[in-house]
Amino acid sequence: MKRYEVIIVGAGPSGLSAAIEAAQSGLQVVVFDENGRPGGQLFKQIHKFFGSKEHQAKIRGVRIGENLLAQAKELGVKVILNATVLGIYKNKEVSVLIEKEVQNYKADAVIIATGAAENMIPFEGWTLPGVMGAGAAQTMMNIQGVRPGSKILMVGSGNVGLVVSYQLMQAGCKVEAIIDAAPRIGGYGVHASKVARTGVPFYTSYTVLEAKGNATDGSVSSAVIAKVDERFKPIPGTQIELDVDTICIAVGLSPMSQLADNAGCEMTFAPTKGGNVPVLTQDGETSIKGIFCAGDVGGIEEASSAMIQGKIAATAIAQELGYIDHDTFEEKKSIYADSLLKLRAGMFAPGSKGKVIDKTDEGYTISKSILTHGYLAESELSDFPALDTSGGEHIVIECTQNIPCDPCQSACPQGCIIVGDNITLLPKLSKEKKCTGCGLCVGVCSGQAIFLVNDSYADGYGTVGLPYEFLPYPKAGTIGKALDRSGREICDATVVEVRANKVMDKTAMLVMKVPLAQIGSARFFQPIGLESLEGVS
Amino acid sequence: MGIIIRTKHTQPFIPQPDDSMIICRCEEITKGEIRKAVYDGMRTINEVKRYLRAGMGLCQGQTCQRLVLGIIASESQISAGELGHITGRMPVRPATMDYIGKSTEHSEGVERYESK
Repeated sequence: MKRYEVIIVGAGPSGLSAAIEAAQSGLQVVVFDENGRPGGQLFKQIHKFFGSKEHQAKIRGVRIGENLLAQAKELGVKVILNATVLGIYKNKEVSVLIEKEVQNYKADAVIIATGAAENMIPFEGWTLPGVMGAGAAQTMMNIQGVRPGSKILMVGSGNVGLVVSYQLMQAGCKVEAIIDAAPRIGGYGVHASKVARTGVPFYTSYTVLEAKGNATDGSVSSAVIAKVDERFKPIPGTQIELDVDTICIAVGLSPMSQLADNAGCEMTFAPTKGGNVPVLTQDGETSIKGIFCAGDVGGIEEASSAMIQGKIAATAIAQELGYIDHDTFEEKKSIYADSLLKLRAGMFAPGSKGKVIDKTDEGYTISKSILTHGYLAESELSDFPALDTSGGEHIVIECTQNIPCDPCQSACPQGCIIVGDNITLLPKLSKEKKCTGCGLCVGVCSGQAIFLVNDSYADGYGTVGLPYEFLPYPKAGTIGKALDRSGREICDATVVEVRANKVMDKTAMLVMKVPLAQIGSARFFQPIGLESLEGVS
Repeated sequence: MGIIIRTKHTQPFIPQPDDSMIICRCEEITKGEIRKAVYDGMRTINEVKRYLRAGMGLCQGQTCQRLVLGIIASESQISAGELGHITGRMPVRPATMDYIGKSTEHSEGVERYESK
């Protein structure tokens, strides 16, 4: 039987981070993953991550995955792919199916980092071809390069639903609607806004009743949705039939905790963590000494916190096995715990789940429009701190919810944007510093919530610089329509320039010329005659 | 899990319009069958699993466990947290008997290691 000091199950963000940390401490480590390629879900995350620099904010998930792999390789971490762990036993023996053979390994410590799987909801026709998990749709387009469909209904408005909707549009699909049974949009307002301003309607308090199949191959030809009451029961007479060929389900994730259960770890049913999860200590250790869990398997969060959890588990093991002393452990752990705390703050923190929050930490009233329609009402915006009403070229930051994120602060070479050490606070504009109109912040903001507005471009005209991630980028001089925050056409617009550089990492700033009266409303550019938009990948 | 009380029904089983909807895709178990299982006295997720095979297919309940729990909970008026979870067992992922059979040699190795 082969022996390792640490066996890690799952080569996703958490497992790889744990492996790197363990190897850096000198532990002999092996990672098993049942998939043909490592990285877990990271390689399909083509959007920029949130957080602070230490959390790799503003870097796209796919790059974070590449960095992790490179680091693991450099440290000589052994990652065995197409290796399915079938069971873990109390004495830390692990059965792995590798190439048609079950091999048995033994470890001093095991980290289970198996992640989570998508939830489904049953409705008439949910087993038809064309109904799929949002994550499955994301795998199809971002990994396999296959468009999942052309007209999409997204069920669920959490961050997964919102992010995947945007990526579906980048892949050239039309998102017909995003619905949610809850009365509020579940994900970040900035994610909702970047979808809403392209014209995607949100239906809150709506559920899907039926997927209808076509006569030829039975695949989805339309979806029937209906409004629900406070008890989530459909209200008769509110049905709407949507012409869609694909229904994506983004209604949460369930931890894949079977291995922990199989190993005999104490389990608990925790709805806020996504279901059945092992009981864990602060370090991620289960009720069985030496068996740890890290990432979504112990409770649904997101990739950034999963990576830190992996590091904490590996650090605890390194101490236990004598590779680092107690002081080093405490020091490292306090750094990681602090980093985790920063991510677990704000309106969407795990601890805020299910709570209705109507004020920001600063005391600003949270936009009701953004929570129900996905976009800010212009009247609500004036309440927020990052509105600069001075003339000339200036930025407007439409960041109105407390989310852990601060890349805008370091993006500005002039120091105009202030977030401070508490990264969940809303960005403010410096009164002394002057915007030079470079547009870096527009491209850097992971939430695509910063706009560069110029009210003195030409007689009667101003410009709006907006973050733009649809390929091909329109050329200067392209004529189209300016859309407002709700995606409604409000006026003609002409592209003045499309600015993109390395720092902005494929988020271009599209500058369009609009009548002066519209610079406060125009937030998206729709080229005339362009049927589909191809996205950045 | 607390003590589960099973009371014999005096009312007949009432069919519902969506009873034919498939819930466990791997084993093709319908909502009606699960409702009937609860009516027949099954309560926990593992009881329903053994009674109907719901959750015993390829995905081992990863997709349907939550849905089956929801149906049992609403039929029995017992909260989902009280209904247990599908027991995680080796193999937690599908593997052919052939492959598992080939591991005999290794398993003996495990035992020898243990008896030392």
